[in-house]
Amino acid sequence: MPKAIHQGLIHDLQKNLMSHYYEKLTRAAETRQEKSAWMLISGNPVELVRAFGFLPVYPEVNALQLGVRKQALPFILKAEERGYSMDNCAYVKADVGLYFSGLKAPFATIPEPSLILCNYVGCGVYLQWFEHLAEYTNAPIFNLDIPTVRPSASEGLQGKTQAGTAADHSNAADQRYVMRQLEELIAVCERITHRDFDEAKLRRIMEFSRETGELWAQIKAMTRTVPSPFDAFFDAVTMMGPLYCLRGTEECLDFFRAVHREMTERVEQRICPLEEERFRIVIEGPPPWPFLRTFRDLFSKWGAVAVASTYSTVGGLWEFGFRHDPDRPLESISEHMLQYNLTNRSFLQRYEQIRRYITEWNADALIIHSVKSCRLFSAGQGDMREYFSKELGIPTLLVESDLEDPRYFSEAQMRNRVDAFFESLAHRKSVRDREAGTC
Amino acid sequence: MLITAGVDVGSTQTKAVLIDDSRAIRASAIIDTGGHISKAAERVFDEVLSTGGLCRKDVSCVVGTGYGRFKVQFGDIQITEISCHAKGAVFLFPGTRTVIDMGGQDAKGIRVGLNGEVDDFVMNDKCAAGTGRFLSNASETLNLTLDAVGELSLRAERPVRLSTVCSVFVESDIMAYLAQGKKVEDILAGVNSAIAARTIALVRRVGIVPEVTFTGGVSRNIGMIRALETKLGMPLNVSPQSQLVGALGAALWAMEHAESAVRS
Repeated sequence: MPKAIHQGLIHDLQKNLMSHYYEKLTRAAETRQEKSAWMLISGNPVELVRAFGFLPVYPEVNALQLGVRKQALPFILKAEERGYSMDNCAYVKADVGLYFSGLKAPFATIPEPSLILCNYVGCGVYLQWFEHLAEYTNAPIFNLDIPTVRPSASEGLQGKTQAGTAADHSNAADQRYVMRQLEELIAVCERITHRDFDEAKLRRIMEFSRETGELWAQIKAMTRTVPSPFDAFFDAVTMMGPLYCLRGTEECLDFFRAVHREMTERVEQRICPLEEERFRIVIEGPPPWPFLRTFRDLFSKWGAVAVASTYSTVGGLWEFGFRHDPDRPLESISEHMLQYNLTNRSFLQRYEQIRRYITEWNADALIIHSVKSCRLFSAGQGDMREYFSKELGIPTLLVESDLEDPRYFSEAQMRNRVDAFFESLAHRKSVRDREAGTC
Repeated sequence: MLITAGVDVGSTQTKAVLIDDSRAIRASAIIDTGGHISKAAERVFDEVLSTGGLCRKDVSCVVGTGYGRFKVQFGDIQITEISCHAKGAVFLFPGTRTVIDMGGQDAKGIRVGLNGEVDDFVMNDKCAAGTGRFLSNASETLNLTLDAVGELSLRAERPVRLSTVCSVFVESDIMAYLAQGKKVEDILAGVNSAIAARTIALVRRVGIVPEVTFTGGVSRNIGMIRALETKLGMPLNVSPQSQLVGALGAALWAMEHAESAVRS
């Protein structure tokens, strides 16, 4: 059975960075000396918040940290005891449970918020989650109303759109609308921190983000090579921690410089995360955090390496050209929020993004991991499966569990589906090879 | 002569089939799985060997399939029941393009390519509605054996419409109909109809292309065969051995491996 044999130095580096990040949060919780802003991952304006010295805190990341350590369930149950439904988003419940546990996670203590910044409104549940948090903590809340990017009427599905060149889909009025809100946010931050807005500082932070985005885009392009130097789903989630929690800092940039060096070497030496890359896959949807290793092993067994994933773009879509621009800070932040993150894009644009991954990254199949407790993200995935398997003829597997709630993961069912899918792919491949006379 | 075996360890029953290299079935056996999966696999294998008058060393290759396939400790290879059902169904009915399989806890649809390869498949997820479990719960509530359900349901005159396909809540639905004085056969026809509708909705996701072969334990229920045929508007291939299709497919895969080993 091919096993993941080369995890790389980046995993150790990431572990250290994330430990430091959580130590910082714990210190802030204990000393109450620093202001913190609670934010969402999707296309957030962390650069602006950092310019005021806020410590960014991400309830989603805290929830997933509980999940990946298999510690989420007691927190989820705590929220259910308070009346949150079984069908509610499990991230929300784990985080609400964490709040009602005194913000003491097994890995850190989370500081009380000085500002609750709801920067993504595409999900009504998220909006209410942050409203609940504001009510529980008595912290000021600021909702950024970000219009969802809509495909234009002329936009088709096959080749007519270019994911990542979506500037024309979001009109200038949308951008003015978001920038006006960012200006209001600046005034709110000034009031809370008693600091004047320092545009030069913002530009310096934006420069860190620009360089980080550039490196991240180059790193993600490396998985186009055969074999892929890393798994663009399972290893990408490792890189997403610093990208989201530390973006706009020098330590984040240093991390991505190290990743870039390591991946460049791996490409040159043809090092693959598995002993053998037999199948190149694209994965849509988030991982089942409590069963991350088990889930990875299901694919490793078949020599399947993810060469691209949509989940690695939930916070930002850099691989098709977007960069933060220090010369146009607010314009650039609003472009990121509006157009260059997966969750603010329509399903048709998501289709197009996946289609490009399959074609340009030369993938054999698409795996869709549907999330039971998030209907918003998962509701259209049945149609997505139909589109890719029936209209484009791309072998597509849809499996379902949850990103956080361990009660939805059935290993036997999952294994059965994954094994059957790759049995049939392997069979087709061997028939193709036989016909081509390559074996 | 090569002999191979397929052992299908399902949630409810464990099946075994022995074939020879002319692809003739030499023996078959079915037992209840019970709580000890490995032992069930051992027992069914011993039984099929005894029926076929063979011993373990006569068998060149054993393929384990079904949920308990990794517990077939004497097995040489494990293959999912999806691949095995496709293989077995195409062997029995070469025109098969779609397989509907209904087992104890699974309902699945498999679209099969021209060469018997799996083109696409879909299975029920996290819910036993529309599976054999739904039927057995319904029959238990009515104090009937599972085998009686099919024939009795064909006598229905005014089938009821169940408000649920939940395997647990079906019981209260049935009790309500009994309280209203509905006939048992009308209730059973309603049960079959509800499962058939749910299964067809599931299988349509992979596309229903004739010929359609119906496999798994539930295919012994003549009422279910009729309900599916009526809703689909086409006849189904159903073999007297349809409960053994998974094990048969496993034995056929085992034969391919054994023959390829001999060749190399």
